[in-house]
Amino acid sequence: MNETLTACHAFLAVMRRDLHIYLSYRTRLVSQLMTSVFSLTLFYYVSRLVHVQGFATPNAYFGFVVVGIALLGVMYSCFSIPELVRQELLVGTFDRLLLSPFGAIRSVLAMTLFPMLFSFMLATLTLGLGCVIFGLRLHWSTAFLAIPVMFLALLAFLPFGVLFAALTVVVKQGSVGTSWVIALLAIIGGLYFPISLLPHWVQTASQLQPFTPATNVLRHFLVNTPLTSPVATALLKLMGFAAVLLPLSLFTLARAIRFGQRRGTIIEY
Amino acid sequence: MTPQSSLQIIEPASSQRGGLGLASAAGEPEPAGAPLTLRGLTKRWRKDLPLVLDELDLTLSPGTTTWVGGRNGVGKTTMLRVAAGLIEADSGRAEVWGIAASENRARYQRLVSFLPAGDRGLYARLTVRRQLEFWARIAMVPRERFRETVQDAIETFELGDLAERRVDRMSMGQRQRLRIAMTFLTSPEIVLLDEPLTSLDEEAGALLDTAVKEVLARDGAILWCSPSGEHLNMKFDASWTIERGKLVAA
Repeated sequence: MNETLTACHAFLAVMRRDLHIYLSYRTRLVSQLMTSVFSLTLFYYVSRLVHVQGFATPNAYFGFVVVGIALLGVMYSCFSIPELVRQELLVGTFDRLLLSPFGAIRSVLAMTLFPMLFSFMLATLTLGLGCVIFGLRLHWSTAFLAIPVMFLALLAFLPFGVLFAALTVVVKQGSVGTSWVIALLAIIGGLYFPISLLPHWVQTASQLQPFTPATNVLRHFLVNTPLTSPVATALLKLMGFAAVLLPLSLFTLARAIRFGQRRGTIIEY
Repeated sequence: MTPQSSLQIIEPASSQRGGLGLASAAGEPEPAGAPLTLRGLTKRWRKDLPLVLDELDLTLSPGTTTWVGGRNGVGKTTMLRVAAGLIEADSGRAEVWGIAASENRARYQRLVSFLPAGDRGLYARLTVRRQLEFWARIAMVPRERFRETVQDAIETFELGDLAERRVDRMSMGQRQRLRIAMTFLTSPEIVLLDEPLTSLDEEAGALLDTAVKEVLARDGAILWCSPSGEHLNMKFDASWTIERGKLVAA
């Protein structure tokens, strides 16, 4: 019990460390908020300019895309893990984490806490700014259901970040691949437009990753976008991605670290 | 003959091992053996390169300090990294009180502390206190000992005036003092020091000397690696140099 409590404190310590480092860059929050405002402004006017097939009004498309942008931030946070691991390798703190009783695997998992919670907060702020500045209408009666779905989506996205972290441990680069994976997932997951506009084979591919079910359910709960499949199916898909890929990704990370220790490359950066 | 740091009979101290009394979980057997044993360590970085460590043997006895020197690139740091559990040898075994890292990694890491050479391993944007607090948490220091552990480190290494200062605003010597404070933070049994005097002034060197004596007083052991001549005022129980992957008496 004491061991568990001490481990929880260690998890929180990593989160607190990341918060302190984040706050030490004073303009970072402002710049991230400005990025959200610019994205919202851009798509607000795009929604007024272009008639998108399948949306009755410009507001319907605007709501669709705002939820996508909010979720993209959450996905970004999971894909930031390889870069965080790379930073630790660069400054030599990964060695120390590896040589600590807390260990490297738990440390990498703990590193995800702050970016994920922060992205969650930023997603909420993005939706709030959409409401306040651009008149986005949230579907308040189901909006609160978006919170557990967002957490489930985080768990489904997390294995991708951990897998890229494992890659980073081995080849010392990982963030290069993450940018195109995010771009690909954003396109086939229907971030900016409905996947029904995409070629049939891409639509099939879009069902093989967690971004599509997550955006579908979140859009339904937040802005009442009609569902293309039942909520339960989408949630089961997300749970499936998390249940299968999370242990697999952690196993891969452990193997990558062991590989680095055997080859001696764990000390390289 | 297997290099040993002294001729005394090696018996594990009856006290609970693992710094801050952290190591022995309920039901876990008391460790046996020497504080640190390196047996037949062999390491080669690439097939076309000579062996860095060639069946290297070293045993540290309780309450002793051992110095290992040698030319640059001779394998001192590699030996320390293997001993710390950071990298694995191609063959051979590193044990701390009879435990190998592969058998019980968490316990091994509680017993050993490693100060790598250089000035890495610090978070530039954190203050000294936050840095120590963070590493105390990661070292799984129990809640009831947490504040005391951090405060002790600040006092022992005279970091009080620097406690609220960010690391990127400190001198190299001050950073090294912090790195040493982090190394001794959890009262480890075995301390592996790689060129610890880098950038340290005389006063800080004396603080390190005091910390080393505390480890020895609780029957721990120190393995100190540096190029010849760096440790002018230190007295060691045993001195070795690495030559062609093996230890020879200095």
